[in-house]
Amino acid sequence: MVVLNSAKTALVELVDVCKEYRVGGVITMALKNVNFKVYEKDLVAIMGPSGSGKTTLLNMLGLLDRATSGKIVFDGQDVSKLSDRELANLRNTKLGFVFQTFNLINRLTVFENIELPLIPKGLPRNIRAEMVKDALIKVGGEMEWLKKRPNQLSGGQQQRVAIARAIVGRPAIILADEPTGNLDRMSAKTVIATLLELNKEGHTVVIVTHDPEVANCTQKIYVIRDGTIVGEYRPNPDESLIRKLSKD
Amino acid sequence: MNPYMILDFIRLSLKALSERRVRALLTTVGISIGPLVLVMMSSVVGGYSDYIVEKVTSLGQNAIAIFPNENYKISDEDLQFVRSIPEVAKAEPFYSIQGVLKRGTEEIKVSIFAVDYTLLFEAIGSLKISEGKIPSETEVLYSIVGRKIAFKDSGERCFTLNDVLTIDVPRIEGGKITGKKSLNIILGAILEEYGGALIVDPDSTIFLSPEAGRRLLGMRDWSGIFVLARDPSFVRTIVSTLRSKYEDRLRVIAFSAIAETISSVTSAIDFINFSTSLSAFAVAVAGTAATMITAVMERTREIGVMKAIGYTNSQILFMVLLESIMMSLIGGLVGISLGVFGAHILSSRGLSIRGIELTFVANPKITSNLIVQTMLLTISVGLVGGALPAYRASKIPPVVALRYE
Repeated sequence: MVVLNSAKTALVELVDVCKEYRVGGVITMALKNVNFKVYEKDLVAIMGPSGSGKTTLLNMLGLLDRATSGKIVFDGQDVSKLSDRELANLRNTKLGFVFQTFNLINRLTVFENIELPLIPKGLPRNIRAEMVKDALIKVGGEMEWLKKRPNQLSGGQQQRVAIARAIVGRPAIILADEPTGNLDRMSAKTVIATLLELNKEGHTVVIVTHDPEVANCTQKIYVIRDGTIVGEYRPNPDESLIRKLSKD
Repeated sequence: MNPYMILDFIRLSLKALSERRVRALLTTVGISIGPLVLVMMSSVVGGYSDYIVEKVTSLGQNAIAIFPNENYKISDEDLQFVRSIPEVAKAEPFYSIQGVLKRGTEEIKVSIFAVDYTLLFEAIGSLKISEGKIPSETEVLYSIVGRKIAFKDSGERCFTLNDVLTIDVPRIEGGKITGKKSLNIILGAILEEYGGALIVDPDSTIFLSPEAGRRLLGMRDWSGIFVLARDPSFVRTIVSTLRSKYEDRLRVIAFSAIAETISSVTSAIDFINFSTSLSAFAVAVAGTAATMITAVMERTREIGVMKAIGYTNSQILFMVLLESIMMSLIGGLVGISLGVFGAHILSSRGLSIRGIELTFVANPKITSNLIVQTMLLTISVGLVGGALPAYRASKIPPVVALRYE
């Protein structure tokens, strides 16, 4: 087990965070006293079996859910006292999300999908158009996609569009929940390569994954089980998806 | 929220509606029924109401007609009493009778009204001579005829000035009709077209002097007294003075009072129409709410994504509400347009009043006030119908929305 970046200030920090869900009369503890830090320019993976609490952890990091107890500090600010509106503003300005099922809106064009996070910022259309194109170029997308509907693209292309939507607002941190879960290996490699490239450019990236090959592409791996982080590991680059597919 | 954002939200709302266009279209059709009915009925009722009131008041806001009831004859004493009322400016007796005019090969029913010409033109201000001149007191045989007597509906002229008109009128002896007689009068003047009228229809009337009424028609008893008040505000006083004196021996009709009655009746009709339209609006609210609740349920995951990327609860609420407002705006525009069209069709059919065989056509009264009120009411359908779904959408926690299947 290794401990990295211990001297730096964390971008997001979870302090003794517990999260419980009540369904009917049954209480389920999804997170138990989790202490977790993500630093600027980190590229980390969170691994764990189904139901271990990794998506709940990602939701906490992404300010999508409130902790039952404990503290979440984002960029030096305790977010537990923030209103829904303030949390939404933080998500809009500091966070970018990538989902397993892409979650693109098929009635909108690719341009409009990528543009979505910019609308609450109230930016003029011409500025938004530049930002959308820049984001698509960054993820290796093609300009001809802009007028297409998401369902006219392949899965890998759709996930790159989803990443473009996540980064278009220039967030500090990108949170990806099983970003390769619905993709074939070649598409998965492209998507992971895109995320690695974004990390090199300065974005902090947190990836939740089942896939050890994907996790091995990152700088450190956290393992979660039964709502508790049970370990922090250095990845093995030789077992990474990118290295393996490059050999093939 | 800045203008760019509002425009973008409108664009997103329209896109969302276009995705489920059949449902949105049906809801919009449902919404459009309320404004359609309201605009169509209100404008038609308003148009006819204004028309009738205008025609009645054109007979003179200060004019009063007095008719004897059965078994009562108006005497010179009664005339003097009326003239003695301080508020009365002028009071003249008149004779009226129905006759049949021979016009070429056809015979047409006409009203014959023998009245003081000065009083006639003073009471009905909009009455104008188009040809000829008002006969003098000595020209007993000369008459003034309405436009529809001198001309056919097609515009073809039937009589010119100084033509002799032959009219069959009832022969009256000892106050009773004993047969009929023909009388010849000379056409002295033709009136300009007056348009449909109530109580008195100048277009189908032959006006004679009171002297002619007595000598040519052979009428001994006055048909009534035509009274002009010094000021319209004195009409009520005169009416109440006459009613208190004569009770049920005389019928006293003030044209301004008729106008008031018609106005109150049409106001009641308008209210009933408005209430009926409200039920159409209520149904539209339910339809909009159902459509929007379904839409929100279908898009729960999408709402979760939007919240994740930074849309606030109020922005989600605004966006969902915009969709229902868009539907109501389109429904309102369609409904109002169809209502205006329908109002013209409906009013062009004309209104027939049985008993006096009068049909007239009035333009619908489409006012900016009516349009704005209807539009606001229709928009409120969108607001009320969309409020609950929009609130629910805004309150879904993002993690719950993202998990929604």
